Amino acid sequence: MDEEPERAKRWEGGYERTWEVLKEDESGSLKATVEEILFQSKRRRVIESHEQVRLGMMRHLYVVIDCSRSMDDQDLKPNRLTSSLKLLEAFVGEYFDQNPISQVGIITTKNKRAEKLTDLSGNPKKHIDALKKAVDSVCAGEPSLYNSLNLAVQSLKHMPGHTSREILIILSSLTTCDPANIYELIKTLKSLKVRVSVIGLSAEVRVCTVLTRETGGLYHVILDESHFKELLMMHVKPPPASSSSECSLIRMGFPQHTVAAPTDQDAKPSFSMSHLDSSSGPGLSLGGYFCPQCHAKYTELPVECKVCGLTLVSAPHLARSFHHLFPLQAFTENSVEEHQGDRFCQACQGELKDKTIFTCTSCQSVFCMECDLFIHDSLHCCPCCIHSQIGP
Amino acid sequence: RDELPRLLDDGHGVLEMPSGTGKTISLLSLIVAYQRAFPLEVTKLIYCSRTVPEIEKVVEELRKLMEFYSKQTRESNNFLALALSSRRNLCIHPEVSSLRFGKEVDGKCHSLTASYIRAQHHSNPSFPVCQFYEEFDAVGRQVPLPAGIYNLDDLKDFGRRKGWCPYYLILHANIVVYSYHYLLDPKIADLVSKELAKKSVVVFDEAHNIDNVCIDSMSVNITRRTLDHCQNNVDTLHNTIHKIKETDAAKLKEEYRRLVEGLKEANVARETDVYLSNPVLPDEILQEAVPGTIRTAEHFVGFLRRFLEYLKSRLRVQHVIQESAPQFLKDIYDKVCIDRKPLRFCAERLQSLLRTLEITDIADFSAATLISNFATLVSTYSQGFTIIIEPFEDRTPTIANPVLHFSCMDPSIAIKPVFQRFQSVIITSGTLSPLDIYPRILDFHPVTMASFTMTLARTCLCPLIVGRGNDQVALSSKFETREDFAVIRNYGNLLMEMSAIVPDGIVAFFTSYVYMENIVASWYEQGILENIQRNKLIFIETQDAAETSMALEKYQEACENGRGAILLSVARGKVSEGIDFVHHFGRAVIMFGVPYVYTQSRILKARLEYLRDQFQIRENDFLTFDAMRHAAQCVGRAIRGKTDYGLMIFADKRYARADKRGKLPRWIQEHITDGSLNLTVDEAVQLSKHFLRQMAQPFRQEDQLGLSLLTLEQLESEEMLQKIAQVAHQT
Repeated sequence: MDEEPERAKRWEGGYERTWEVLKEDESGSLKATVEEILFQSKRRRVIESHEQVRLGMMRHLYVVIDCSRSMDDQDLKPNRLTSSLKLLEAFVGEYFDQNPISQVGIITTKNKRAEKLTDLSGNPKKHIDALKKAVDSVCAGEPSLYNSLNLAVQSLKHMPGHTSREILIILSSLTTCDPANIYELIKTLKSLKVRVSVIGLSAEVRVCTVLTRETGGLYHVILDESHFKELLMMHVKPPPASSSSECSLIRMGFPQHTVAAPTDQDAKPSFSMSHLDSSSGPGLSLGGYFCPQCHAKYTELPVECKVCGLTLVSAPHLARSFHHLFPLQAFTENSVEEHQGDRFCQACQGELKDKTIFTCTSCQSVFCMECDLFIHDSLHCCPCCIHSQIGP
Repeated sequence: RDELPRLLDDGHGVLEMPSGTGKTISLLSLIVAYQRAFPLEVTKLIYCSRTVPEIEKVVEELRKLMEFYSKQTRESNNFLALALSSRRNLCIHPEVSSLRFGKEVDGKCHSLTASYIRAQHHSNPSFPVCQFYEEFDAVGRQVPLPAGIYNLDDLKDFGRRKGWCPYYLILHANIVVYSYHYLLDPKIADLVSKELAKKSVVVFDEAHNIDNVCIDSMSVNITRRTLDHCQNNVDTLHNTIHKIKETDAAKLKEEYRRLVEGLKEANVARETDVYLSNPVLPDEILQEAVPGTIRTAEHFVGFLRRFLEYLKSRLRVQHVIQESAPQFLKDIYDKVCIDRKPLRFCAERLQSLLRTLEITDIADFSAATLISNFATLVSTYSQGFTIIIEPFEDRTPTIANPVLHFSCMDPSIAIKPVFQRFQSVIITSGTLSPLDIYPRILDFHPVTMASFTMTLARTCLCPLIVGRGNDQVALSSKFETREDFAVIRNYGNLLMEMSAIVPDGIVAFFTSYVYMENIVASWYEQGILENIQRNKLIFIETQDAAETSMALEKYQEACENGRGAILLSVARGKVSEGIDFVHHFGRAVIMFGVPYVYTQSRILKARLEYLRDQFQIRENDFLTFDAMRHAAQCVGRAIRGKTDYGLMIFADKRYARADKRGKLPRWIQEHITDGSLNLTVDEAVQLSKHFLRQMAQPFRQEDQLGLSLLTLEQLESEEMLQKIAQVAHQT
């Protein structure tokens, strides 16, 4: 599949009423379209993220994927399951890109049960492989919110207090089959400070509303595939740390990757510590990262040393988390009429068609809505400011 | 909403406003403001609602309003507002309040507080009386309640603290909130409401059924059991009279003298306009003395006995008889020589006798009271009533169960005194369309009739009319296709598809219990039920109240914890009338068929005929009006506010017709586009899916600002004022 969400064939698409998109507003009718409200909230999100808040940089996130009967529904192409797994692959990649010192685990739920697809770990490859494999699985039965939350909590509750504990649920079904009262579990989650967010694929379900409200998470329902992607990407950004979470200094090790030269006769291939318990994966290798404290070997970073418990990261990882702490200032919003000068966006060079334009506070460059979002979500720096720094 | 001030000055009005949009609060705040501005014009507000929870809700709204007032004006206001309910809900006497039935409580209360009991208590302190009432009588009568807002529990608390009976505390309040039976039902109105001042404003909330309430309050049903009870009553009366005669003949003489003087006192009271007149007791009676034939107690008992025998003989029929009141009177004169005049005094005479005989347990004499009321009514009103005697019920033609229906066909009789007495009466509800029919059947001239719509920041309701199944079979609950398997299957299909896409709760309404049973049985056979149950649990409303409330409770639990549930219920049933399905409890309402009344009923036929003759309302018009108001009532259960949202699915192709659609309330009608008419099940599913996703997007209060919610600045801005004036002009 391409980067762009593929447009479905006309005849495969849902029953659409294209004529209804044309809404007349001139008559002064009060029908504010939902799109407009969405647009506003998008904008608000950008603004909100620029307040000075403490962010939980070390995240532990469990993604729960609903694999119930309703995932066979074909309103996302080719079906909900395939589509969500594809998006999740992208999500995992992006997640580790932005949060290098965090970890993810994946849980699936179907037939009233919950299974762990992957354990919490900081290795994106492993997760993506697992997600790719999961495409072929059969969707059957009902999901169980209780079981999957319970399973996630079992591992999350052992995580140290200075890290964030999060669960993200992709829920397609409208029902859940629970063995016990879920409200008790919600209380437990709340006391453990686990933040649960839900992305619904079909409609708003009450129990999720309560769940997310109580645990301080977000609850969104998708409109279509691109909206789904947008919602997923919202969860890439680290959430603000709750004021009650502990502060502590963390010891970290920065091991270097050393590979013994093949000519060196003393070098012997050795096992990586992280592969000890899993049967799969590469066995013996020559090079790797060696813990500065106990010299245990690991093939990948970041990881927590199994022997001495030291967090092992590489320096670039930390550097990449940096922009979360010092985000780009929000641009000021003005209407097009007030703007003097040429009406071109400095970034994409397109004409400013929207009613509102955005001005960088430091270099006074003007941007369109789309570019504003792109700059704040992906670039994290103003292109014009950078340009003027480098240029003469 | 500036219709109201005009209305308050003088006259009556009919207002339709969608539920959950602050109907109650805007009415209350306007009237209270008016009351404050012109304390002499409007002395009292009587707010009538339907059920106890609704009453409580009104009181809560009022409390908020008053808090706001005192915050704004920084002075405590001296408003006194009360909620009032039956003795059963208010009694704090430890023994009496433990009784379960309203009637028992009333009877027991009477036996502890009647004047002669209290007189006996004076002479003999061991005689039991209600200490709360005593205390109230001794101290509380003069001392008014401290100003404030009291709901039922507050009243009880206050009563307990002071040791006063809360039931009798209601006098002196500025605002009284109670059930509208207290104003309409002549039997109760007499006790509670007759001292209300003329300059009151009366509001009937949730009044879409007000005509039926009026009719019920004036109708009498007599079965064989009633007659047997009555027979016993009469025997008891006879014995008591006998006993008293031996011991205390003077008392009976005293009563006789009083009766000779007639009911003059009552007449004086009515002329000086102190009391709300009781429609059972017509004016002419008051001017005459009680006729000689029933003046003495024995004669009256004999008279009653004869009347009873006559009724018994009438009930021994083999076929249905329908006759008018004059016919009945003539027949009774021919057969047992009972004149019209004494019949008219029957109710009063019985009351007087019961008082004289010091019979404590009024509840026991309900049968006799009923019969005497019937006698008075039948002899008083020659028009607007009909008598139908049925030897058996239609459903069980083999079992003899004769019933005499004395049915009122003209709701205006019961409500007339209310309109005459109070300076303004407001009838309001979420579903009153078409508005013009209410003034016609209730026989009054409103100053204002208006239907308000909601201004919404998003379209939170989605009415869909599903007219066809996926196989193009027309969906309808009309009689000819009722048994058709294709229709039933398609209905099942609709419910199944909906259960897969609608979250949490769905409420489905059928037209009758019988129809629901048939359909559910055949769904079970076709395996549809099983498929539905995979998505949601199914609960069914039954005629048993306990069972239904159990089902409701479990339904709500299932909605709450994410299992999802469907409630199958019946239009006109308990669920459709009094229970709100806010937010997740009702994300969709499906109305299977058009809820017409059972047209074969003889009472209904008689009423239709009467409407046609008297008010020129065609049968069909009335039937459609009645069906549509119930349908609107059912689907209106789902939307209880601006943040709420819900699907409304009308599954019958007849809804698409202009005459049906036009009778829905305006706030629903304006969201029915041509595109949502006569859909197939598939199309409806697609639309609903889209709708539900749209509605699930986060929605905050700020989004409503400027549209359906105004800030103070916006409210004062010139532009907005113009807009308001424009809107007001249109309506």
